[in-house]
Amino acid sequence: MKKRIVLLVIGFAAVFGFLLATNALAIDKVVIGHPACLSGKYAKAGEQAIGGVKACIDWVNNVYGGVLVAGKRIPLKYKYYDCESKKEGVTSLIERLITVDKVNVVFSAYSSGLTLSGAPVAERYNMVYMDHGGASDRIFQQGFQYIVQTIGPGSKYHVGTLNMFDHFDPKAKKIALAYEDSEFARMTMGGAEKHAKKLGKKIVFMRTYPKGVTDLTPLLSDMKAKKPDIVLGGGHYEDGQLFARQMSDLDINVKGLSLVASATLPAYYKALGGNIAEGVLGPSHWEYGVTFSPEGAMKVGLDWIGPGQDEFVKLFKKALGKDITPDYHAAEAGAQVLAYVKAVENMNSIDQDKVRASLGKLKFMSFYGGWDVDDKTGMQIGHSMVDMQWQKGKRVIVWPLEAATGKLIYPKPKF
Amino acid sequence: MIFELLAGNLTHGLLLGGVYGVATMGLSLIFGVINVVNVGHGQFIMVGAFVTLILFTALGLSPVIAIPVALIIGMALGFLFFYTVMRKLIKAPELASLLATFAVGILLEELAKLIFGADFRGYYWDVGKIILPFTTIPMSKLYAFIGSIAIALFLYFWFSKTRSGTAVRSVIEDSEGARVCGVNVDWIYALSFAIGIGITVMSGVLLTMFIPVGINPYMGGAYTLKAFVIAVLGGLTSPYGAFFAGLIFGLVENGAYTLFALIPGVAPFSLTVSLAFWMLFFLLLVKPTGLLGKK
Repeated sequence: MKKRIVLLVIGFAAVFGFLLATNALAIDKVVIGHPACLSGKYAKAGEQAIGGVKACIDWVNNVYGGVLVAGKRIPLKYKYYDCESKKEGVTSLIERLITVDKVNVVFSAYSSGLTLSGAPVAERYNMVYMDHGGASDRIFQQGFQYIVQTIGPGSKYHVGTLNMFDHFDPKAKKIALAYEDSEFARMTMGGAEKHAKKLGKKIVFMRTYPKGVTDLTPLLSDMKAKKPDIVLGGGHYEDGQLFARQMSDLDINVKGLSLVASATLPAYYKALGGNIAEGVLGPSHWEYGVTFSPEGAMKVGLDWIGPGQDEFVKLFKKALGKDITPDYHAAEAGAQVLAYVKAVENMNSIDQDKVRASLGKLKFMSFYGGWDVDDKTGMQIGHSMVDMQWQKGKRVIVWPLEAATGKLIYPKPKF
Repeated sequence: MIFELLAGNLTHGLLLGGVYGVATMGLSLIFGVINVVNVGHGQFIMVGAFVTLILFTALGLSPVIAIPVALIIGMALGFLFFYTVMRKLIKAPELASLLATFAVGILLEELAKLIFGADFRGYYWDVGKIILPFTTIPMSKLYAFIGSIAIALFLYFWFSKTRSGTAVRSVIEDSEGARVCGVNVDWIYALSFAIGIGITVMSGVLLTMFIPVGINPYMGGAYTLKAFVIAVLGGLTSPYGAFFAGLIFGLVENGAYTLFALIPGVAPFSLTVSLAFWMLFFLLLVKPTGLLGKK
């Protein structure tokens, strides 16, 4: 009798241990937590990110069948709150998502500043923290162990843009850099300065303006006096609007104008009205029209996961209930869902350390393009950017040439 | 080259300063009459910006027409908030009215967000430009400046030439004395609050004529801060002082950039922003009542 009880206990322990090991006992859902920017200065990008996440969760749950862990398909759930685009909102909500909502992974809010503010909180709980909106290289120089980037590093934003100008007009040497004094823009323009010098260009103007600026007239007048050929500028959506508008007011006509994190938003053209946005460029992580496909992935030896481009657009519109085109903020947030799914499946576990290790080794392609991070820092190294230009109210990919959906209008039409 | 740049920046600064001045007159009037610091000030500017946007984009009406419309809407909002919120708080501790105006500001922001969403919007009103030898000035900026001068003059004549204006001045001087002399002080409180809010909403129209982008429910915060600095510079209770302080603020904000840009290794724009606060600091040390404030 005694022997039978011991055997029963051992048997039960073995089964229980096996179930625990395979996570099958504990998991009935995998929850993504997100301190999203529903309001405040990043609301536009935040709405796009939510749409992108929802679209890809929809695809994972209803087309793919759920995340495969220990032979079982588990649905993804999405828990998000409005951080109001504020650092204090981000830090407290990440804490809440981890301790109260018991999420399995945290997605960052939008912008480098907000992403950086949330990283120590996720780190304290050993929680995988996936960054789809913070491009500053500095985030990845702090020694955080659990952060992984989907968006490309800020220092590379204008590399393609400058290559493009150099390709079409090598004589355009005078470059002006005017940008928001923010973590992201400093990194972006620092990278641009370095690359411009490498290409033999001359930086004729390099100035910052403070966050929340309402009038750029003095800075732009100063820039006008330097007669640049090419202007690279901006920082975020609202100052990007102001930048182009006041360049137009002051009749500053240049051969090329590229604005980060604003010109790429679908609402940009409408918000400026008239023809002010015509010919304005923006570096983008993704644009509708890019040609990534399962066949392309196979050619370069990468796994493919996720919806195709048109399927993603359809799911995005369904998720937001609006007929708007997704931009790169949506695509990178959506691709992040796919990266997490791949990492969990590759490790057959939702354990934080295992998932982080899996993300470090992961290489794949989706509608968003390539995905590969530096194992140690978590910085994105596998995704390349495109440059888009507003042409008659439409966003056209003009660089790199192999991905272009139209020809670059150069020089930029006058305001 | 430097002089050209300075002349250009000072011209733009003067034009913007006029708008800043009007944007602050309402704050000073309300503080002067009912002793309430309206920390929701910038949100009323936001209301004016949305009035312009809607009239222009939905009805195709010129922003010039939006000016009187904004005054009417602003005064209606002023009376509404006075009789529902502020009236009971005039004699209450200052913190109560401070919190109440803060709450009104948040309420306006959230209402705007509910109706229009959190997008940054803009409009395009092309009425030409004036090309000067040293800068280019869009006509819309010039119209905004002319509008601000007209509003300031209107307020001046109302204050100094009308019975109700004289009554307002008497309440600012001594509300109890005015009451003894037969002035309906409660009505003057309501009227001043409504006119103060009306002018503030109107200034939102002028600001969008100057900068017709970035219109969103949360745009008011930046203007609240500037308005407080200008109001203190102008002497807090003096609407005229506020107007002149606005002109000085605009000139300093734009003009100082040119000079700071000559210093190597500094970010002139950031220094310019802080200069306004340094100016305030030193003025308070030398003349704590502000430029036109009385002891």
